[in-house]
Amino acid sequence: MSELDRRFDDYYAKRKFYGGNSCCPGCGGPLFWRMAMEAFGPRTIVYGIGPCAGCTMRSIKLPSFNIHFSFVADGASGILAAFRAQGINDITVISSAGDGGTADIGLGKISAAAERNENMIQVCIDNEAYMNTGIQKSGLTPYGSWTTTTPLGKEAPKKDIPLILAAHHIPYVATVSVAYPQDLKKKFEVAKEIKGFRYIHVVIPCPTGWRFDPAKSIEVTKLGVDTWLWPLYEIKDSVLHLNMKKEAKPVKEYLETQQRFRVMKPDQIEWLQKETDRRREELLTLDGKKLFY
Amino acid sequence: MVQVRMMEGNEAAAYGAMLSRAQVVPAYPITPQTELISFIAQFIAEGRMKAEYIKVEGEHTAMAAAIGASAAGARVFTASSSQGIVFMEEPLWMPPGMRLPINMCIVNRSIAPTGGLRPDHNDSLLQRDTGWIQLYCENSQEVMDTIIMGYKIAENKNIYLPVATCYDGYFVSATASKVEVPEQKDVDAFLPPYKHDWYSLIPGESKERPSRGGSARNRYEVQQANERAKKIIEEVDKEYAKTFGRTYDGMIEEYNCDSSDVVLMTMGSMTGTARDVVDDLKKNGKSVGLLKLRCFRPFPTEEFQQLAHKYHVIGVVDRNTSTGSAGGGIVSMELARALYHLDDKPLIANFHVGLGGTDVTPRQIEYMADKTLEIMKLGRVSEPVDWVELKDLGPVM
Amino acid sequence: MSIVRSFRPNTDYEKCKRCGICQTYCPEGTIMVIQEEGPLIDYRYCKGCGVCANECPFKAITMVREE
Repeated sequence: MSELDRRFDDYYAKRKFYGGNSCCPGCGGPLFWRMAMEAFGPRTIVYGIGPCAGCTMRSIKLPSFNIHFSFVADGASGILAAFRAQGINDITVISSAGDGGTADIGLGKISAAAERNENMIQVCIDNEAYMNTGIQKSGLTPYGSWTTTTPLGKEAPKKDIPLILAAHHIPYVATVSVAYPQDLKKKFEVAKEIKGFRYIHVVIPCPTGWRFDPAKSIEVTKLGVDTWLWPLYEIKDSVLHLNMKKEAKPVKEYLETQQRFRVMKPDQIEWLQKETDRRREELLTLDGKKLFY
Repeated sequence: MVQVRMMEGNEAAAYGAMLSRAQVVPAYPITPQTELISFIAQFIAEGRMKAEYIKVEGEHTAMAAAIGASAAGARVFTASSSQGIVFMEEPLWMPPGMRLPINMCIVNRSIAPTGGLRPDHNDSLLQRDTGWIQLYCENSQEVMDTIIMGYKIAENKNIYLPVATCYDGYFVSATASKVEVPEQKDVDAFLPPYKHDWYSLIPGESKERPSRGGSARNRYEVQQANERAKKIIEEVDKEYAKTFGRTYDGMIEEYNCDSSDVVLMTMGSMTGTARDVVDDLKKNGKSVGLLKLRCFRPFPTEEFQQLAHKYHVIGVVDRNTSTGSAGGGIVSMELARALYHLDDKPLIANFHVGLGGTDVTPRQIEYMADKTLEIMKLGRVSEPVDWVELKDLGPVM
Repeated sequence: MSIVRSFRPNTDYEKCKRCGICQTYCPEGTIMVIQEEGPLIDYRYCKGCGVCANECPFKAITMVREE
């Protein structure tokens, strides 16, 4: 082993992650977990994986427990109850799921865990389709996107899971992006100090499924945020706080970077731009206001 | 002070969970289990039971939460029936393979659409391939005792398998009978605190599961654990008898079988009625004994092989159906396989009764007893599968 | 076990200003930026995805074909 190798092994051991992982080149997943872990610290365990989310999660050295893909937030509820029964109260429990697990098969479970105000941080690792099984559409696939099950483009827009869960009156909801690491880390640090059900949603770039050059991973993610297709905000005790209010770049710029949007027609792109503008106006108006009863 | 009270099966089960000091109870209501979890919630609210009750939104989540809690170091109890059992089928396969000693009550109820709210055994028997240990109870006392024994069996370091205590909805769950409630300190002495040697979710604590990977190897190991459980079930029953004065004869009970050449075999609440009928028949000169099958999984193959030579005919009463099967009900097929290689084996008659939860009447049991005596005289089984309920047998008693 | 990649990152240590952006954004976490030395890359695990080269504001990293 060379000197450089040894230095890197020390670096990995100190920062508690593995140098290599089995993710696709350019995947935003391991990036997300590394950033998250710095904020959460070592007294953390992770429950649950979706296939891609699991692949990315194996890049970090935290104790983890998983049942199967459809079991979102439920095992974590059991783990929390077991810790309470044994008087253990200083371990942060993160419950992780992919976009399919969160929005489709596990939505009822997350809703119930939110209603019970379970003391966990629910994280959605959103790569916008069932990627690990070969790019099939999920409830969080964006409007117009090609997938193997929507070869002509997805018919409906993304479900708004952050707002759906905010309507459960949970203490904290946040959207984050790996392209804005300072914002991400700050939000995790805030989440760590709150008790109750916290939800953090991250859209991670997927070069394999979205069809773009892996080198452009961060560039594409930034565009997603800067076009207001993926606005960054927090909802603390039902009050909305927008974290980024700059001018919106045209959505066309974002759509052009990925081949999965090649099937979109000009009128669809126009519709998407109008809707994104409308939503931007709405969010700016609601900024600082209480959203739900 | 040992309490003696009239108690319905569900209340007795709740007492079983409370005395066993279950720490986490994730449960979802379904008839006929609902009173069980209501009692547990009440005990917790009164401060008599120190447990975390997770009010889950469905049975699929109930078992998933049970798995998480058991791996995280808590003693877990849950319960369900029929449609709930089928809904939690996906996670039900996990605890045996993961070797988590969860205890649950299956309050038997028939499965839709050819069933309703009342009991038959298809819901629990459906799980026979999973690796769960299954014990069938006849009355409230047995339910409470079996839950306490169940934890002792499950948490044995050579076993680490989940246990299902099965009892009939309505006939046991909602029927009151006499129960002796042991004292907490005696149960504590019998049942030490739960600690799993292979699992820890505490950062920094490292434990290892002693097994190699690969599906065949894993399955073989679960099978071996099931085999080892047979001896443990018998031992725990004997130990329970020494401490609390009640025995259930381990996996099979032979009731009033002396000088009987034929026996009926029952499972669950109908055993109670069968005991009375068999006693009456004996008084009137008809010698039919009764076998109570208490442990369905692991199936007590060796025990059956040892007692088979005593009887010419075993009339298996199946409160279940296996549609399209090789021949008859589930218990009869298991028994036939257990005895297949014996040179001198009894004839096996198969009766379907009580399906969908209809009452198993004394008249029906008498009919089945008569049939087995007839088979012994004939020397062969004339009707391989007897659908007793479709026959008009006259008055119930 | 060695990794298979088509391109590998090559650093121009003169151009590099030690800003640390490559370390932040490397999906594998295999870049360590040291003040005196610049970015060190763990070629055991680098997949050659090219994010570091794309994000470097000073164009100090270029992707060259793997031998």
